[in-house]
Amino acid sequence: MTSVADKLRFEPTALPASLETLRAEVRAFLKEALADVPVVKRSHSWEAYDAEFSAKLGAKGWLGMTLPKQYGGHGRSALERYVVVEESLVAGAPTAFHWVADRQSGPLVVRYGTEEQKKAIVPAITAGKACFAIGMSEPNSGSDLASLRTRAERTATGWKVNGTKIWTSNAHRANYMIALFRTDPDPNKKHAGLSQFLIDLSKTRGITPRTIQNLAGGRNFNEVAFVDAELPPDALLGTEGQGWRQVTEELAFERSGPERYLSCFFLLRKLIDVVKDNASPATLARLGTQVAWAATLRTMSLSIAAKLNAGQDPLLEAAVVKDLGCQFEQALPGLAQELCELEPTLEGHGSEYQQVLGSLIQVAPSFSLRGGTPEILRGIIAKGMGVR
Amino acid sequence: MNETQQMLEDTVNRLFGDRLGWDQLTAIEEQGFPTALWAETVEQGIPKVLADEAAGGMGVGWSDAYPVLRACGRHAVPLPVVEATIAEWLARQAGATLPAGVPGLLPRAIAASAVSATTLTLSNARTPWGRNADFLVGVAAKGEGAELIIAATSGLAVAAEDNIGRDPRDSLSGDASVITRQALPLAPDCVHWLGALARSAQIAGAGAAALDLALKYGAERSQFGKPLSGFQAIQHYLADLAGVVASVDAIAMAACVGLDQRGMAPSGRNARFEIAAAKCRASEAVEKLTRLSHQVHGAIGFTYEYGLHFLTRRLWAWRAEFGGAGEWGEYLGRVAADVGGDGIWPLITA
Ligand SMILES: Cc1cc2nc3c(=O)[nH]c(=O)nc-3n(C[C@H](O)[C@H](O)[C@H](O)COP(=O)(O)OP(=O)(O)OC[C@H]3O[C@@H](n4cnc5c(N)ncnc54)[C@H](O)[C@@H]3O)c2cc1C
Repeated sequence: MTSVADKLRFEPTALPASLETLRAEVRAFLKEALADVPVVKRSHSWEAYDAEFSAKLGAKGWLGMTLPKQYGGHGRSALERYVVVEESLVAGAPTAFHWVADRQSGPLVVRYGTEEQKKAIVPAITAGKACFAIGMSEPNSGSDLASLRTRAERTATGWKVNGTKIWTSNAHRANYMIALFRTDPDPNKKHAGLSQFLIDLSKTRGITPRTIQNLAGGRNFNEVAFVDAELPPDALLGTEGQGWRQVTEELAFERSGPERYLSCFFLLRKLIDVVKDNASPATLARLGTQVAWAATLRTMSLSIAAKLNAGQDPLLEAAVVKDLGCQFEQALPGLAQELCELEPTLEGHGSEYQQVLGSLIQVAPSFSLRGGTPEILRGIIAKGMGVR
Repeated sequence: MNETQQMLEDTVNRLFGDRLGWDQLTAIEEQGFPTALWAETVEQGIPKVLADEAAGGMGVGWSDAYPVLRACGRHAVPLPVVEATIAEWLARQAGATLPAGVPGLLPRAIAASAVSATTLTLSNARTPWGRNADFLVGVAAKGEGAELIIAATSGLAVAAEDNIGRDPRDSLSGDASVITRQALPLAPDCVHWLGALARSAQIAGAGAAALDLALKYGAERSQFGKPLSGFQAIQHYLADLAGVVASVDAIAMAACVGLDQRGMAPSGRNARFEIAAAKCRASEAVEKLTRLSHQVHGAIGFTYEYGLHFLTRRLWAWRAEFGGAGEWGEYLGRVAADVGGDGIWPLITA
């Protein structure tokens, strides 16, 4: 007599008062640090790469917060980190430099890395001095990631890598890449033939990123060619042949955070200001419906953070929130356009609002691609309900 | 869920799960008020979870009562359990005790001018289960505040009407004699807000049950040589349904916790924000919940014989009752306009 919905409970989470103190500190810091950054830049801040800012966050103790102290982390809770992350996103802090390292590479290295890898990497992540790239997708392997072909072969001195990665965000300026390669070409080992590698990009030859411009003009992701790239033996991260399992865990970090519904939050903020003085009841109602969504998604997202904090594995819940969050953030630009007849403009033209609108309209298609498409997520959700 | 919540959910699921199969729901639609089931529900203390312990209640808060409200949706309960729960809580806030019997909860704030020392004057007051009510419970404006009114139903004219869920929504008119008037530390419109919260919980429950039916049917029914749920389009409908149900459940639960912790005064940051968000989200969700659960079922779901409609007709009715996405969206839009763009995040996280 249980309901399937019982598997998908998002119990409300009360943050301890100490976290509200932390929140106030983070807010005050961000307000000052971002005072001079134009609003349009802040509106898609996950693309903004600012090593100096990341180092400042690191100095505040707000990166690598959950990583263990013995390796230079802060040993703080997932909820403390959650507060820092959501405040950074809403304020429009430039997060591109440290984002991947703080969110997934750090935890991954801590879980699977050797002592040496941990000692070398974790302090740099915590200090906000390590930028990481994720080498998963390939030209012929997107959603079907396990079909990837980039090959790492054992040699007398370590590993030799040949192949191509694509859509690799920040590969042209990152310090490290964690990549998934095929270590066993046996066609019967689609999943079992994969392994993860931790690559120090400054010390490796044969890796050539070519930046790809996105439709909005941004230059963040790359095609990365590996031509006889030689890696030392200790570049292997975790266990040979366990790459698929490790990557699945990594993707769970990638899908569970507040960034999965907040990408267009700046637009909601600006939209409220543009319509507030002359809004008809119908306009208010549509605006308010989005506010209801935002409040709902915050509740759900925070509940996931609490589950992670309690050591649970909310894979299904994370897929649900990413799917819903993506619908919310992708609908906002169109709604904004309907509620307020102002043309979207390019940076430097039109009002602040028009620039934010222009920029977010253009980047919105990426929300349902990065970190797993809705089609794939819904497959995961269906499976979680026992349907497939 | 904590132990109280689990215990309450189990109790309610057991009772209504046994008593409210499709045949029984059909019989109730034909025969009217299920007196025996109401008696059993009362005997198990279900309508009194929010009543004071001294009044024979459990004295718990809204977050512990939430599973009961949700279960009333899940089982399409054709009884005023939710209305009674609200009435009991109001009585507890006012320090009053409700008479025995079926309560008729007046959803709208009563104008001060409609109440005298002895009489409550009603004119077409829409009242869930009005025809079955043994007494009325409502909240009237009084000066700056409010008072709880408990009145008798004898002598009132009843214009009987069912909502599209086939639950009684009658209009009462005439002079009702007042049994109790008691100062209430809440706003006169509080029933509207509490009703919106309760309907949100019911929508979460009925949505979950519609999802369960769709899952079961999708696994059983085959076309093109395989179960419907083997088709990706159907899997995605089911996943979409699950997400929407979870979203309503999450915000309705959060609103209950909020109500326990910060009340619902007319101003300041309190549970009104979450309650409005819950009913706005819930009402908006009904379109998808009903459309997709019916779509998975094909024609069988459009029959009276198959019981999906016990849920979906109630979902359509509850979507509108106590305000829909338009009303609550407008409220939230106004809140957003008042705090401005820079204030919205601090409000959400407050
Ligand atoms: C801004 C941005 C940054 C990115 N950064 C990185 C990065 O740093 N590192 C990295 O490795 N990757 C990155 N990606 C790549 C991203 O992970 C992929 O785009 C994503 O996995 C989808 O793969 P694809 O683009 O090849 O689409 P495809 O897999 O070719 O899919 C195209 C469409 O078909 C659908 N589809 C595919 N398979 C199925 C199926 N079985 N059933 C139903 N529908 C299906 C998809 O959902 C999608 O709608 C980034 C992408 C973007 C947009």
